[in-house]
Amino acid sequence: MTRSSTLRTFAAVLCAAAIAAACGPTPGPSEALAADQTLRMGFQNDMTSLDPAHVDSAVDIGILAEVFTGLYKFDNQLAIKPYGASEMPSISADGKTWTFKLRKDMVFSNGDKITSADWVWSWTRTLRLNDAYASNLEPITGAADVEAGTATKISGLSAPDAYTLVAKLDAPAGYWLTQLAMPTAAQVLNQKVITAAGGDDKWTESVTTYIGSGPFKMTQRTPKASMDFEPVKNWWGGDTGKLTKVHIDIGIDDVSRVKKFESGGYENVGFANQSPGPDDVLRYKNDPVKSKLLTIYNGARTSGIGFNFVKGPFASKPGATPGESTVNPSDPGLKGRQAFSMAIDRAELADIACAHAITCQPAYGGPITKGFKGYLGDTGDPNAKFDAAAAKALYTSWDPDGSKVKGLEYRYNTSGGNTKRAQNYQAQWKKNLGVDVKLVPSDFPTLQKDRKKKIVIMGRESWGIDYDHPQDWFDNLYSCAQAKIGRGNDEAYCNPAMDAITTAANAKPISDPATVAEYVKAGKMLVNDVVWAATDYGTQPYLTQSYVKGMGYNSLYDFPWEGIRILQH
Amino acid sequence: MTRGTLVYAVQRLVLITFTALVVSSVVFIGVHQLPGTALASERRLNPETELALLRHYHLDLPWPEQYALWLQGLAHGDLGESLVNMGTHITPLLLRELKVSVTLGLGAVLVTIIVGMSLGVLAAIRQNTWVDYAATTAAVVGYSVPSFVWAFLLILLTVSGFYAWSGGTFYEDLGWGKIEQIPVPAFALGLPYAAIVARLTRASMLEVIRQDYVRTAWAKGLSARVVILRHALRNALIPVATILGPLITGIITGSVVIEFLFGIPGLGQEFVTSIISRDYNIVIGVFTFYAALVGVANLIVDLLYPILDPRIRY
Repeated sequence: MTRSSTLRTFAAVLCAAAIAAACGPTPGPSEALAADQTLRMGFQNDMTSLDPAHVDSAVDIGILAEVFTGLYKFDNQLAIKPYGASEMPSISADGKTWTFKLRKDMVFSNGDKITSADWVWSWTRTLRLNDAYASNLEPITGAADVEAGTATKISGLSAPDAYTLVAKLDAPAGYWLTQLAMPTAAQVLNQKVITAAGGDDKWTESVTTYIGSGPFKMTQRTPKASMDFEPVKNWWGGDTGKLTKVHIDIGIDDVSRVKKFESGGYENVGFANQSPGPDDVLRYKNDPVKSKLLTIYNGARTSGIGFNFVKGPFASKPGATPGESTVNPSDPGLKGRQAFSMAIDRAELADIACAHAITCQPAYGGPITKGFKGYLGDTGDPNAKFDAAAAKALYTSWDPDGSKVKGLEYRYNTSGGNTKRAQNYQAQWKKNLGVDVKLVPSDFPTLQKDRKKKIVIMGRESWGIDYDHPQDWFDNLYSCAQAKIGRGNDEAYCNPAMDAITTAANAKPISDPATVAEYVKAGKMLVNDVVWAATDYGTQPYLTQSYVKGMGYNSLYDFPWEGIRILQH
Repeated sequence: MTRGTLVYAVQRLVLITFTALVVSSVVFIGVHQLPGTALASERRLNPETELALLRHYHLDLPWPEQYALWLQGLAHGDLGESLVNMGTHITPLLLRELKVSVTLGLGAVLVTIIVGMSLGVLAAIRQNTWVDYAATTAAVVGYSVPSFVWAFLLILLTVSGFYAWSGGTFYEDLGWGKIEQIPVPAFALGLPYAAIVARLTRASMLEVIRQDYVRTAWAKGLSARVVILRHALRNALIPVATILGPLITGIITGSVVIEFLFGIPGLGQEFVTSIISRDYNIVIGVFTFYAALVGVANLIVDLLYPILDPRIRY
């Protein structure tokens, strides 16, 4: 090489390095980490189950997301990313064959390798145990047979090689990817360990057999007292972050949690839906210093009033059998439903019943919660706009002599929040419509039983979102099929045209804006028919110490522990 | 321990076992007549899932069969599984919580005896002086204020008050697990009963120190400490021991509120949370434990009598 060519090469390398430095991530100021990287929190509730096949609560999901792995996961912005799978699935043209390529480096926390056989066994087990979220695997052909106990294998699920999974579906299901990303029943489990531990009921009883493949493992558990977790060494998924331990006390009420937070005993209050109480949130909100530690996120719940579509004064088709279409051009109950909805000032409700809009915010955009796909927009529900005069006029024209609302009851299950809501509804109906509505509280099982029998004329409705896909709403709460079997749709609302729209949309990928537009169209049918008078959306307050970074909430799930670090303080 | 006392103790233990069995049976039958269970959830389960869950907990069987299965489990010390927290076995859970409640209870009994007797003795030996009036007033205030009010006052003082006054340096950490977390709830629980013991001790001491044998002891030139503690106090304790049984029962039942307020993971807190969450298996277990605990506590008190008064024989 000549001297000039050496110089040219050297110059080229220098330029390349300069360009790379300019284009690469800009190093920020380095964070001085605390020596003790233990994240401490207090929960009121213990986990309802440590078994992903039996998961049923926010506490369960918050913990299981750290210990177990699914094929996909949600990132902090709720975008779906590959997790146990090495890439997004390839889907056949007819939408019924899904092929998943698995990561080859996945291992359980005890070092056992994970192959497609483990996924097949885990999903089969979930369907066999058939608990709340087994439905996430129901799109697969043959899943129903395993659930019913008439088959021991899922006929539509196969593993052509150690790192490929193929699922054949009964029908195209664009929402299935979202269901697979939910940190619940579709997570992979260690068959060897579970069998050796004594089967389905025993493996969760000891931390030595409680084996997952997530970034953290449980190292200590005293039921209803405490849980400890530590990061998995050399985790296949990469860096487990800065935390060296997570300690959770259980049985700590909301006031005690905040007291301990204030003395530095806890780094956070709010993870896994273990929120601070409304009085404390208000106190923090009104304090110029303390307010810096408080964040109020949008929650994943809508509450409101449901109207009976087949019985009583609000029925659109009185006497119809649940499952039968309730579409009726003359809808005798429509004006009543509209009047009762418009008579509620949602801002006043949130102020009075939700501690000055701390625990909830007014709902103006229909049943699907604000911030989630299918939300109709901040003025999407015309019947949510408070108009006392219009409500009164509508009511008077619908029920001039008051006979329709004689003896009218509002049914709800008793809790602090529900009681305040009910009392405010009652007061507003009296003030704005002149109607006396009797409040009838009961326990939740009794209310559920009566709703299933379709004898609740007007009652509390509420839904906590499972995953960010409108299918979660329509298929669980508003379809004709649900009205018939009574697992949801307590109003017995049945609109075949709406069902046709949502069924078609269910088959399409949600990433397509046209699919979302279809769900919005269906949502507008719901608000036009006033199936629910959605009155408020939930919130999720979070208290986080100023020296804790990386904690947060994306309206549905908490940010993972791998991103959390504790600074010197 | 004499043979008679041993027989008496065995008879009482048999009676306690029978009582606990009757109480838990009544509760078992009662809760199974109530509508609904902890298995109700917002996400409505399909019928097969619901049936599988009911089968897991034997709730699909007629209640007499459930009762027979439960008795079988009880005979082996197995109180079953929590309805709310699947996989959580009730017996080890309640045994752990019993330990917590007994520790708190013992602390409260110590407060009751030490504070109560000290006040009572002081008031008696300084009768009709300002010491007597102060001690008597304190006792009246003590038993007029319920234990949960004391709990709130002490929490305000030790949690918020000390924290604010010391600029955050001194803080009472509510909860359980450290030895320094015992005194405050023990005081809250024991103070009302200490006041009762103080009044009773004062009255009893006043009667005893007027007895001839005490006058003789003074005349012999014995020190005040010897006269009071060795001669007078032991006889004055007999009426106090009489009410110790009901006092301990009161402490056990009062601990439900105190544990809840202080976030102490004992039987009392479990009692409240299991009722609210309709975890009937745990409710039955807690009632069983409480029935046995009250029985055993009263037995221990009864066995103290022969020690205090050798004239008493079983």
